[in-house]
Amino acid sequence: MTDTALRSAPKPGTGTRARRPEAERVRSRPAQVALNVLQRAWLIVVVFAIWWIASADSTNVFIPSLESILTSLGRDLFNGVIAEGAAYSLGNLAAGLLIAVAVGIIGGLILGETKRLREIVDPVIHFFRSVPQAALVPLIIGAFGIGQGPKIYTIAFACMWPVLLNTIDGVLGVEPTIRKFSRVYRIPRGLHFRKVVLPAALPQIVAGVRVALPIGITVMVVSELFAANKGLGFYILNSSATFMVPETWAGALLVGVIGYILSLLFVVLERRILSWYFKSGAK
Amino acid sequence: MKTSTKSLDWGLTTQRLLAVAALLAIWQVIIWSGTLPSMTPGVAALASSIGASLASATFWSALAQTMTAAVSGWLIAVAVGTVLGLLIGSVRALDRSTSILIDFGRSFPVLALMPVVIMLLGATAQMETVVVALSCLWPVLVQTIYGARRMESAVVDTVRIFQIPALLRFRRVLLPSATPFIATGIRISASISILVAVGVEVLSQTPGIGRQITLAQQAQRWDSAFAYLFFAGLVGWSIASLLNFAEGRILKWNRQNND
Repeated sequence: MTDTALRSAPKPGTGTRARRPEAERVRSRPAQVALNVLQRAWLIVVVFAIWWIASADSTNVFIPSLESILTSLGRDLFNGVIAEGAAYSLGNLAAGLLIAVAVGIIGGLILGETKRLREIVDPVIHFFRSVPQAALVPLIIGAFGIGQGPKIYTIAFACMWPVLLNTIDGVLGVEPTIRKFSRVYRIPRGLHFRKVVLPAALPQIVAGVRVALPIGITVMVVSELFAANKGLGFYILNSSATFMVPETWAGALLVGVIGYILSLLFVVLERRILSWYFKSGAK
Repeated sequence: MKTSTKSLDWGLTTQRLLAVAALLAIWQVIIWSGTLPSMTPGVAALASSIGASLASATFWSALAQTMTAAVSGWLIAVAVGTVLGLLIGSVRALDRSTSILIDFGRSFPVLALMPVVIMLLGATAQMETVVVALSCLWPVLVQTIYGARRMESAVVDTVRIFQIPALLRFRRVLLPSATPFIATGIRISASISILVAVGVEVLSQTPGIGRQITLAQQAQRWDSAFAYLFFAGLVGWSIASLLNFAEGRILKWNRQNND
């Protein structure tokens, strides 16, 4: 929800229309590009510089200098310690998300199409959605052990609800006229789902996955911080348990950067999947 | 997904209860079939320990601790997020400069910082509040920025032509037009506050519901662990419904305008 807010920011209207086609204007004028980049990037540089300088000769054991954080990050990035952990964690995330998306879309299509069933299970869905995902971690890990499977299931369970709810909303948003057409022409049920309902609901579904992604990352890290013998969360936990303070900071920052990169990649993917939708100028 | 409850639909209510009963029956059958690990509690054990927690002082104090941390963190986030958001959203240069930083902060899984935050602040209630506030800040901030940014051009022109003073413009133009968005941010962050508070307790063993779940699980008291989980879900659910209701009430004018 929040993401839609940020990205669909330029609203039609004379005030904003003038500066709306930024990309086109920018491409023609290199100076404009430089200015734009500068305007967007200076604050990051300043924050970074302040952190670097302020922490340079920090005497607090728990606040290592940014330099030492980055050094240990670089070292562990290149000797493969982090790469192995990241591959494990992100593999879990991908598997969990995949399950969540599959179950969420199928369930959402079914519930969206059957009004009565939807009304009946509505409170149950909203209850399960409200269960704190992190609180599931001790139970699932306690019951099924610290292996890869339980972590994937936890991620899948947590990520499923936004996908499911958004799919339902998307299905409900299908134009009644289109629905009628589909019925009039007696489109077979399978075809109706695949070619009519699914594409129409896709923008909503993708938005649901966008909401699910950060939840998945959080659950991924929490499940590893709680108990694991591999993964990014384990790297952070292990560093903090053995008082390797710069490594702890490095791991936490790295997870943040990965979260950011994944959300950027998702936007690219979204543009791809929904290119027809954006082209149609909807919304 | 809203169900109209103008006249209570008895048929629907019974069917909903039946659905819940069916779920519980499936749960019990799975337990009997032995596919789940043996420690998972059956329906009867679950019901009795839900009842038992309602009578126990530990439960109520844990709930109070979780709620205190969640609510105070949330309030801080709402205050800071609204003020910063209105400022950033109405000054275009600021908006541009902060966009990457805000995008980054928003996608940062704050719970990953837990070991670092525990090192700095210890496993205390203040630490929990800080983490909750940090997590709740982003939805409020992002929504407020969007609300402040989005101004109809006709309104902008009118304000400029009549040379409305800045303060009046802020109070009468900017704030009302941004309020629905701020409300959404506040609602989203309220749900997040409970989730994060419980998450912090699970990870850091700060007193609260999350810690009780971990403790019960470690003591092999699975029935009470599930009971606490149930209450955690219940609290989250009530808060979400309450705020949904409040938002509909307070922002009635907006809803009507949109329809």
